[in-house]
Amino acid sequence: MKKCCFLWNRVRYVQRKCAKKRGRRGKKDEKQVAGLLCLIAVCLTLTACSGPREEEEKTSIRIGVSLYRGDDTFINNIRNELEAKAKEYEQEKGIKVTLDIQDARGSQSTQNNQVERFISLGCDVLCINPVDRMDASVIIDKAMTAEVPVVFFNRQPVEEDMNRWDKLYYIGVDAKETAMLQGQMVVDLYREQPSVIDLNGDGVVSYVLLEGESSHQDSLIRTEWSIQTLKDGGVPIEKITGGIANWERSQASALMEQWLNEYPDTIELVVSNNDDMALGAIDALDRAGTGGVNVVGTDGTVPGLEALESGKLLGTVSANKEIYGSAIIEIAASCALGERLPEEYPLTDGTYYWPPQEILMRGEND
Amino acid sequence: MIGKKSKVLIFLYLIFLVVLFLMCSTDLIIREPEKEVYRVAVIIEDVRDDNYGNFRKGMDQAAIEFNADVQFITLYERLNAKGQMELMEREQQDGVDALIVVPVEEQRVTDALRENQVTVPAVILGTGSAKEETTGMITIDYRAMGANLAEKIKRNTAKDCPVVLVEDTGGKSEAGGSFLAGAAEVFEQSGYSCKLEEPKGEEAYREMLKGLSEQGTVIVAGSPEALAETAAALEEDSSLSSRISGLYGRGNTLAILDDLDSGLITGLCVTDEFSRGYFSVCMAVGELEKASTGKTMKMDSYYIEKKDLREPKYEKMLFPVE
Repeated sequence: MKKCCFLWNRVRYVQRKCAKKRGRRGKKDEKQVAGLLCLIAVCLTLTACSGPREEEEKTSIRIGVSLYRGDDTFINNIRNELEAKAKEYEQEKGIKVTLDIQDARGSQSTQNNQVERFISLGCDVLCINPVDRMDASVIIDKAMTAEVPVVFFNRQPVEEDMNRWDKLYYIGVDAKETAMLQGQMVVDLYREQPSVIDLNGDGVVSYVLLEGESSHQDSLIRTEWSIQTLKDGGVPIEKITGGIANWERSQASALMEQWLNEYPDTIELVVSNNDDMALGAIDALDRAGTGGVNVVGTDGTVPGLEALESGKLLGTVSANKEIYGSAIIEIAASCALGERLPEEYPLTDGTYYWPPQEILMRGEND
Repeated sequence: MIGKKSKVLIFLYLIFLVVLFLMCSTDLIIREPEKEVYRVAVIIEDVRDDNYGNFRKGMDQAAIEFNADVQFITLYERLNAKGQMELMEREQQDGVDALIVVPVEEQRVTDALRENQVTVPAVILGTGSAKEETTGMITIDYRAMGANLAEKIKRNTAKDCPVVLVEDTGGKSEAGGSFLAGAAEVFEQSGYSCKLEEPKGEEAYREMLKGLSEQGTVIVAGSPEALAETAAALEEDSSLSSRISGLYGRGNTLAILDDLDSGLITGLCVTDEFSRGYFSVCMAVGELEKASTGKTMKMDSYYIEKKDLREPKYEKMLFPVE
């Protein structure tokens, strides 16, 4: 600033001199003025390019987290991981992490309001588990206006929305991989011990299917690829029936109870899109006193793992929740701090991170 | 034809309208009242918020009503008083306007307040064991709660039935200690034989239950965690249920209420956690606005059994709708 004032005074001084001596030194003075003006222009350009002074290092960050439904077992597990990982991050890096976790209770409009509140409270980054993955544009609009990066998780917004801004990320399991692993565990067991899967030994495995929400991208993919893997693996399957239980244990339990009445002694395998619904099917089987039916789920939730341990669940596909939680917190924190994203979570297309998954089966992985 | 004078008048009128619009839209004439947002930090004594579900609902409700920005903070390590003091210090440095603390060690926190180590208004949610008159307090008399529970148990329990008091897992909380002390006092005065158990880990709970005599022991858990663990061990091995005549304790979590509903837990002491959360924020804002200082509020506790769960009074208290 001082430099600029000095240069300006110098220009005025030269101009005054020029006026006095015009005619005497004419062209020489004009050249001097032009030179000075160029110098000013260069200085101003350099000043503009240097930008604001380096920002002070942040010592705390605030992350707004909105969950589509807090009573969903898998989401609840993820929430616990997020809290644990935020504390770990805080202790490791010495940066205070404030997590504002809100439950949207299945309402997109509630979630939109929560996002608005997060922004007004000055959250540095948002972690959103969208209620309606097709309707994430409102959240993105608000975030873009406020320039707050968003890390979506578990329910993947449509690609069109994700491509709108380079500060949008998605973390979630690869549904196709999940489904293929779920199918593979049955295929492997069938190859080893066919009688464990084909209970009545008629050469056909009769199965029922429990599907998640129809609006969730994972439901369709999990269903399609799980069954396709069974077929490709040479398991002779026959679908008895199927239904949408919206990821819920109680709904799955009611459906299973109905199917057990409609098709007594027929069901040999229950393929479920998640662990909660698998547990619902197990509840119905327990109530009916029907034993031996194999039930497979996915998610690796805590109750699911307990059922696995007690032998009620044949198997599940579990995302590594520690990595899942760490990825969300660390990517969010990097966004909030304006740092480079952590390399241990490689992003596909600079936007998507898929946490690793593993098969957990009854009697294994103790 | 519009004359030159009229044109000037129209032009001036338009300028007047533009100026008026700008003045209105930039708060020069109609000024919106500025709302101050109070930053309040709630520091609990636990590493998890499992026991604070209803409390948080009340807290969030008050935050909206009183325009407060409430941050809920859990400890790094369970029942770590030093860690809690450090977090209180950190929050003050970070610029919070008020603190709400569920102390690990009540005396330590009240001493810090007395010695002016805490420079912002604070509300203590404790047992009331340490007196502090300059700050807001919401207290629960856990000793009286335990004594009340013991009185209720006595009515249905023969004197020759042994009583096992299960101490808090993962450390001894002041609340759990007071609760069991209150119960033990009543039992001992009435001639019951009491035994204190401190199992650590799931297996230890199973072992404790297996080690019980066949007489029909009464179990009183000192903390929600100990109660949930005992109930889980009973659920896992139903043969163990025959050894006990009743499982009692305190807590409001959904899991505990489910266990009461399913009959695993016989009786429960509960408090209105929604109100506790709500009033704690109210009190903190009151302290900030100097509307109330040094107030103490005592929360009531209630003994409930399975049949009481559906009663409107308890249903409203235990399952508050946001």
